[in-house]
Amino acid sequence: MRIEIRNVTKRFGSMAAVNEVNLSIQEGELFTLLGPSGCGKTTLLRLIAGFYTPDEGEIRFDGQRVNDVPPHERGIGMVFQNFALWPHMTVFENVAYGLKLRGIARAEIAARVGAVFDKVKLSGFGDRYPGQLSGGQQQRVALARALVLNPKILLLDEPLSNLDAKIRVQVRQEIRKLQKELGITTMYVTHDQEEALTLSDRIAVFNQGKVFQVGLPKDLYERPANRFVADFIGINNLIDGVVEAVETRERRLQVKTALGVWSALFDERFKVGDRCVLCIRPENAAIDGEAAADRNLVKGRITFAAYLGNTLRYDVELAPGFVFKVDVRDPWHHELLPTGSAVTLTFARASTVAIPVQ
Amino acid sequence: MKLPRTIPSALGFGVIWAFLILFVVYPLFRIFYDAFTDEAGRLTLVNFFEFFTDSFYLRSLWQSMVLGVAAVVTTSVIGIAVAFLLIRCEFPYRNLFSYLTMLPLILPPLVGVLGFVFILGRAGSVNVILMDWFGMEKPINFMYGMQGVLLVETVHLFPMMTLSVLDALSKVDPSLEEAAQGVGAKGWRRFRDITLPLTTPGYVSGALLVFIWTFADFVTPLVLGVQDLLAPQAYLNIVQFVDRRIFRMGIVISALLVLLAIVFVLAARQYVALKDYSSLTYSKIERRRLGPVERWLAVGFLTLLLVISFIPQVGVMFAAVGRGWALTPIPVVYTLEFFRQVSIETPKFIINSFVFSGLAVVVCLVVGVPMAWILGRTRAPGRNTMDALTTLILAIPGTAIGIAYIRAFNYPLPLIDIPLTGMWIILPLVLAVRRLPYTVRGSHSSLLLVHKSMEEAAENVGASKPRVFWDITVPLVWKGILVGALFSFLTSIQEASATIFLTLGGWEMMPVGIFTFYIAGSQSQAAALGVILIAMCAFSLYVVNRIAGTRVGGLFG
Repeated sequence: MRIEIRNVTKRFGSMAAVNEVNLSIQEGELFTLLGPSGCGKTTLLRLIAGFYTPDEGEIRFDGQRVNDVPPHERGIGMVFQNFALWPHMTVFENVAYGLKLRGIARAEIAARVGAVFDKVKLSGFGDRYPGQLSGGQQQRVALARALVLNPKILLLDEPLSNLDAKIRVQVRQEIRKLQKELGITTMYVTHDQEEALTLSDRIAVFNQGKVFQVGLPKDLYERPANRFVADFIGINNLIDGVVEAVETRERRLQVKTALGVWSALFDERFKVGDRCVLCIRPENAAIDGEAAADRNLVKGRITFAAYLGNTLRYDVELAPGFVFKVDVRDPWHHELLPTGSAVTLTFARASTVAIPVQ
Repeated sequence: MKLPRTIPSALGFGVIWAFLILFVVYPLFRIFYDAFTDEAGRLTLVNFFEFFTDSFYLRSLWQSMVLGVAAVVTTSVIGIAVAFLLIRCEFPYRNLFSYLTMLPLILPPLVGVLGFVFILGRAGSVNVILMDWFGMEKPINFMYGMQGVLLVETVHLFPMMTLSVLDALSKVDPSLEEAAQGVGAKGWRRFRDITLPLTTPGYVSGALLVFIWTFADFVTPLVLGVQDLLAPQAYLNIVQFVDRRIFRMGIVISALLVLLAIVFVLAARQYVALKDYSSLTYSKIERRRLGPVERWLAVGFLTLLLVISFIPQVGVMFAAVGRGWALTPIPVVYTLEFFRQVSIETPKFIINSFVFSGLAVVVCLVVGVPMAWILGRTRAPGRNTMDALTTLILAIPGTAIGIAYIRAFNYPLPLIDIPLTGMWIILPLVLAVRRLPYTVRGSHSSLLLVHKSMEEAAENVGASKPRVFWDITVPLVWKGILVGALFSFLTSIQEASATIFLTLGGWEMMPVGIFTFYIAGSQSQAAALGVILIAMCAFSLYVVNRIAGTRVGGLFG
């Protein structure tokens, strides 16, 4: 089922938790709302679920306006952050409750619950109470309860945040596999950007009730549209500058920063004299690289060095108070440089992205 | 398992256990011993045989059970409805109505009965109005009989139910209900399948309280002329000192009361332990705004309840200030004479109440706060037994404790040659034992809020154990302790059941004074004393609320 969100606003008091949001989610897509806590992503999810009604705008499922449709008539299945399993019912009763309300015959209930249990690998747990299950198992019960009603849309509100790190990775793969198998349109809310990048077909980055960027995981990471996205997703070095030249033929910008003139990827939005922010990912900078035509070069001094197992991470001070983060892969073949070493940094023009100051 | 390390703490531990054994375990043991022996001290079941073959006692037992169940039903319906309205719905004057839950705390049960009689009795205001103005021939019997007992108990006890359910209801995680809404459970169905089962623990403790209270209350039935219930039988059998056999039957009955209370508490505990789902935190709940008709119904229902709940207060007030009030809806001649009589002329009621209740609170603090600390902060052996004893005290009827004390402390003490029952100190002692659970729970629950790591952090930066206690723990828990203590005081000055058995001439506290005045036919004096008692309770409650700033619901559970 397609979901369209048009100019939706939801206020609590004078604060707009969701502010004129427009989104459109495709059939079968796993769409993630990503943002810091309190950014309004859960509010939007609850608007779609029907627990809140929008103050303005409309929500459409397959073109049908659903603003005033109660939650249980929307054909959604929801998994809550704390799972919200009813502690006084067994696992079976939890999953079967929605079917029971619909007056479905016992035998059919048993069959449908059994089928869902197979899907989420819960067979044999039906007679237990939620309190007797591990976090991962509870999570699967919550998922089974949402799926047993054959929803057209699956809503997941930070479903992994109550799980241990290792289980989280495992469950997140299971969720993704199941979602693809069922081809069910899914909306996923999380504040964990790694989770969002690995799971999603597309991601909407949320902040202060607004959508800051919508795109494929790769686009968000490599081509952030604004400073918030560049800063929120992954680690980034951000340097303010002014566009000095737009070299259309070479497909590059020349940007004057406090640390010198750097070349950046061409972007037709910019004119000479525009202010911009340059973003360079730590893994794209090299220490003591060679000067080259397609690389920017800057000198600095190491102020902090850390060994992370799969990475060496350095803080390089380029100017007083200006620190540039550099990740060096493959520590097996590199020695950790001592703090205080003078180094030369280089990074490719092709990985130097200019974004508007906004 | 770790024993208290230092000698002083071991000593303190010993003193507390000695107190509990001497004043809780031993007296209870004593009535059981009496119930299972004959005059010569031989073990026998003949007393119980006598009880269970006597058709009058059997009928009393049956009627007591029926009354208890009926009170649970009526208080459940009203109590749950009120709790649900107050916490889940938004309507005009909601805050005002929430004071309904406080009413019984400022209305001592004994005063409640009197007030009802003045307004709804055979010659009460309502019957006077019905006969004079509407030409009714005979008065309607609202009060004298089981229906009256049930009415008084319901009005007195439904707020306890409301508080228990309120507490449980506000701890239900809202996402559990939303999840139900998501799969299509609406309105009443969702309430029945999800919300109500989740409040089970709170509800069960409330129901237990109502049942045991109704079951063990002898004052209300006696004032209303109902004698064929178990508790009044216990009282009547004990206070007649003529026939040894009947006296022993009184003991047997009180042993039965204790036994039933213990059975019910254990059963409830078992049940609640299975079903304790409540999160520790109170969740924020969005109140549903009621539609115009619903709103009108809610306000109407609660107003009616409020009016009925206020009948006793109005009744005693009129009776206290009316001279020769009879055969008119309200008094014709007003006077303050009765107040003068019960306060200035004979000040012993008020003075005794303050002194005994004050001393009881001191004992509660000295014993209860360390108990709370032992329960909350140590792994001392016997903690669970101590916890169970605290719950048990809450459940044991005052009637039974009073009788148990008469039997247990009737022996002359060495050196002074006077039995404990012959010294007034027994009253503060019995009050302290009865109210100990409030202090323990109040202190314990506030101790739970002080996370152990806060204390460990202080130790970590170099504070010694006593310093940690004074600098970190005490500032964080004193409020809870004080509220628990004040609550113990508030309920001590209302106590009538246990003290009636132990009071000798000159030791009368206010409730006993009210009871004896009323039984002796001095209704006006009884009412005046009742008004003073209500005023004192209201003031104590006001202080509790100012300090605590919240409800005191958790203390009942």
